Amino acid sequence: MSPQLSLILLVAVGYLAAHVAFDWLAKRFLLVSGAEYLLLGIFIGPLGAGLLDENTVRGLTPITMLALGWIGVALGLRLHLPTLVRIPAFMYRVGLAEALATFILTAGVMAIALAWFTGATPAVVLPAALILGAVATCSGTSGVDVVALRLGQREPIVRQLRVATLTDALVAVIALALVLCLAHPPGLTSWGRDPTVTEWAVITVTIGIVGGMLVHLFLGDEQKVDRLMVGLAASILLVTGSAAYLQLSPLLPAVLMGGILANTSRQRRILEELLAKVERPFTFVLLICAGALWQPTLRDWGIPVVLFLALRTAGKLGGARLAARMNGMLPTYGPTWGRALMGQGSLAIAIALNLLLVDPGPLASIVFSAALASVLLTDILSARFADAVATRLLGPLPDPAVASTEAH
Amino acid sequence: MRRLLILGGLYGAMLFILPAGTDSSARVLLTFGFLILAAYSAGELAPTFGLPKIVGYMLGGLLFGPFALGIVESNDVKALGSVGQLAIALIAFLAGAELQWAELKARGRQLLTLTSIELLTTFIAVLLLLLALQSRIPFLQGLPLLEVVIFSCIFASITMIHSPAVTMAMLTETGSTSPYARTTLGVVLLADVVVVLVFSLVLAAARSLVPPEGAIGMGLGLMAWEIIGAVPIGVLLGLGVTLYLRYVRTELFLFAVLVAFFGEEVARIAHVETLLTLLVAGFVTQNLSGDAGTDLRHAMERAAAPIFVVFFALAGAKLDLAEVVRLWPLVVPIVLVRLAALFVGTRIGAKVARLPKEETADSWMGLVSQAGVAIGLVTVAAESYPAVAGEMRTMLLAIVAINETIGPILFRRALARNETTTTPATIPAGPAPAMEA
Repeated sequence: MSPQLSLILLVAVGYLAAHVAFDWLAKRFLLVSGAEYLLLGIFIGPLGAGLLDENTVRGLTPITMLALGWIGVALGLRLHLPTLVRIPAFMYRVGLAEALATFILTAGVMAIALAWFTGATPAVVLPAALILGAVATCSGTSGVDVVALRLGQREPIVRQLRVATLTDALVAVIALALVLCLAHPPGLTSWGRDPTVTEWAVITVTIGIVGGMLVHLFLGDEQKVDRLMVGLAASILLVTGSAAYLQLSPLLPAVLMGGILANTSRQRRILEELLAKVERPFTFVLLICAGALWQPTLRDWGIPVVLFLALRTAGKLGGARLAARMNGMLPTYGPTWGRALMGQGSLAIAIALNLLLVDPGPLASIVFSAALASVLLTDILSARFADAVATRLLGPLPDPAVASTEAH
Repeated sequence: MRRLLILGGLYGAMLFILPAGTDSSARVLLTFGFLILAAYSAGELAPTFGLPKIVGYMLGGLLFGPFALGIVESNDVKALGSVGQLAIALIAFLAGAELQWAELKARGRQLLTLTSIELLTTFIAVLLLLLALQSRIPFLQGLPLLEVVIFSCIFASITMIHSPAVTMAMLTETGSTSPYARTTLGVVLLADVVVVLVFSLVLAAARSLVPPEGAIGMGLGLMAWEIIGAVPIGVLLGLGVTLYLRYVRTELFLFAVLVAFFGEEVARIAHVETLLTLLVAGFVTQNLSGDAGTDLRHAMERAAAPIFVVFFALAGAKLDLAEVVRLWPLVVPIVLVRLAALFVGTRIGAKVARLPKEETADSWMGLVSQAGVAIGLVTVAAESYPAVAGEMRTMLLAIVAINETIGPILFRRALARNETTTTPATIPAGPAPAMEA
C-alpha cells in the first residue's frame, strides 16, 4: 500500500472513530482521551491486524514531525503574557513545584532502576531516564476541558488545573530539548567541530526565536484567513523541519514560536482558531502512528513500565500534595487534588515518539512502552478523575496571603 | 522592505542549517516550509514590478532552486513531487467546481467550437514551422520524412495545451468573474480534455506507423481508458463527496485535503487521467451539493493556498535557464508562431461560434500559459520513444518556461481590461459561514 493511501486510510479511520464512536463515548460516559486512537493504531499496526506495516508508518515520519510542531505551537500560543500575569502567583508556584517533584522523582528512580535492570552505562541510561521524567510530568488537558465545560472556565480550581498542565508541559518540553542536546549524535555537521551541549541548546532556542520573528514579519497586519494559514503552516514546517533536520527536538522551538506569535501578532485569536481546526486531525494521526509503531518486548512490559507507572502516580499525587503544602494550599485543595492531573495527554506520546524517531537507542522502546502504557491506563479515566476532584473543591480559593493572616 | 528582510532572513537561516544536518525526510519538511515562505514573499514582491504573483512564486523557486542559489536541490524538487500531484488534484477539483451545469448546457457547444478551432490553428501552425525548421531541430535531425512528420505531430499536439493551474491561480488572485474570465476558463478546461484525446490518438497513430523499438508503450485501448474511464470514476468520487456533504458535513478542511489525495490515488491506481477525474468530481459535487459544495470549495481553497505556492515555486525551481538560452533561436520562433496562431484561431473560432466580442477579443491572452501537464504528456511519449522524447522534452521545457512566464502577465492584463474586477475571494477573519463548524 502506498504511503499516501495509507495516510488517507489512517486519517479517514481515525476521523470516523473520533466522530462516530469516541465523541459519543465522551458525551455519554465522560470518557475523553487519546487512548482510543492509540488502540486504533495498535489494532491496525503490525501488532494487530497488520493493515499498516512498520515501513509505511515510518514513511509517515514527516507528518508525525509536523504534528509535533503543531502541538508545540498550540502550546506556545497559550503563553500570552497579558493573560498569564492575571493569574495569581501562588498557582504558578504550585504548578511548578508539582511538575518538578514529579520529574525529579521519576527521572531519579528510573535512572537507578534502568541501570540495574539493563546493565547499561550511565551515558545510555541518563537520557532515557530524563525522558521518562518528562513523560511522567505531562498532564493531559482533555480531562480539564471536560471539567471546565461542567463548572465554567472561571472556576478557580479549573484555572489552577490549567496552570498546572501548562507548567507540566513546559517542564517536559524543556527537559526533552535538553536531553536531545545532551545526547546529540556526534559527527553529523560539516562545521569543522561538533557543537557543545550548550551550543545545541542555543541553536534549539534560536530556531524557535528566528522562526517566530520570521512568521511575525510574514504575517504583518494580515487578516485574510488563507494567508494566515499559509504563513502559519509554512513556519511550522520550517521550524519543525529545521529542528528535526539537526536531530533536535521540534517541540521547544515550536513552543517558542507560538509564544512569540501569542505576544506579538495582532491575529492571535484567528491563529488559535486555525490551529485548533487542524490540530485535532494531526493529533489523532500522531496517536495512531504511535500505536502502529509500538512493538513492545517482554522486557519492556516488565519492571521498568510497572515501576514508571507507580512512580508517576506517586509523583502526581505526592508531588501535588507537597506543592500544595509548600504553598499553604493543602487545606483548600485537599490531599488528592493531584488526581486531576493523572491523565497523560498526547504531549506525552509526542515526546516519546520524538525520541523513537530521532534516536532509536537501546532504551527508546522502554520509554515508548512506558508512555503508551501510561496513556492507555490513565487517559480513559482522566475526565472522571478531574471531575471528582473539581466537584469536591467547588468554591473560590482564598489567596494564601489572606488565609495566612486570618489564621494568625 | 519587509519582504526583502524575510527573503534575506530565510536565505541566511538555510545557509546556516543545511550543512549541519543529514536527515533526508526532515530536509523535505524544511525545504517545503522554506519554499512556501520564500516563494510567497517573492510573490508579494512581484506586483511591485507589475507582475502577477504566480510569476513571483516561480521566480522565487528559480532564485533558490538548483540552477541558481542552490538552496533547494534537485533531490528536494524530486522529493516534493507529490506536492505537485496534490496541487494538480486540487486545481482540477476546484476548476470542475467552477463549471455550472446550466452554463455548460447553454454555451457548451459554442465553447467547444471556439476551443476546437483555436487548437486546430495552433496545431497546424506549429506543425508547419517544425517541418520548415526540421534540419535545425535536435529531435528531427537526420530522420526520414515519415518520422519527421510523426514526431512533429506529437510535438505540435503537446504545444496546443493550456494551463488550468495558471488560469485558476490568476482567477483566484484577481477574483475575476467576468464573462471573459468564465469563457477563458471554459476553453482552458475543454482544451485540456481535447488535447489529451488528440495526443492519445496521435501517439496511437505514431505507434502504428513508426513502431517503437524495445520500448514499453501503452496500447490504444489503455490510452482510451485513460480518458473515458476518468469520467465514471470522477462521477463516483463526486457522488461520494456529495453524500458526505449531505449527511456529515464537518471537518471540511481535512476532508478537502483527503478528497484531493484520495482522488489522485484512485486515478493512479485505475490508470485514468488525474486531472480529468478530479475535474468531473468537482463538477458533480458543485452541481449536486449547492451551498454545501461552496463551503467545501472554500475549505479546499484554504487548503490549496500553500500547495499552489509550492507548485509554482517548484515549476520555477525546475527551470534551467542555461538550457532555455541555449535553445533560444529555436524556441522563440515556436513561441511566437503559437501566439500568432492563438490570436488568429480565437478570432476565427469566436466568429464561427458566434460568441460575443467582449468575451473573446482578448481570449488568446488567457490561453498562452503552459505548465506541468505538457511535461506529463512528453513523459507519456517517452515511454514509446525514449531517445526522441528526451530531446523533445528539453525543447518543450524551454517553451513552457517562456509561456509560463509571459502567459500570466498577458492574462492579467486581459482580465483587467475586460472587467470591473470584484474583490479577491476573501474569507473573513473570525467565524464565517464558509468556515466549518
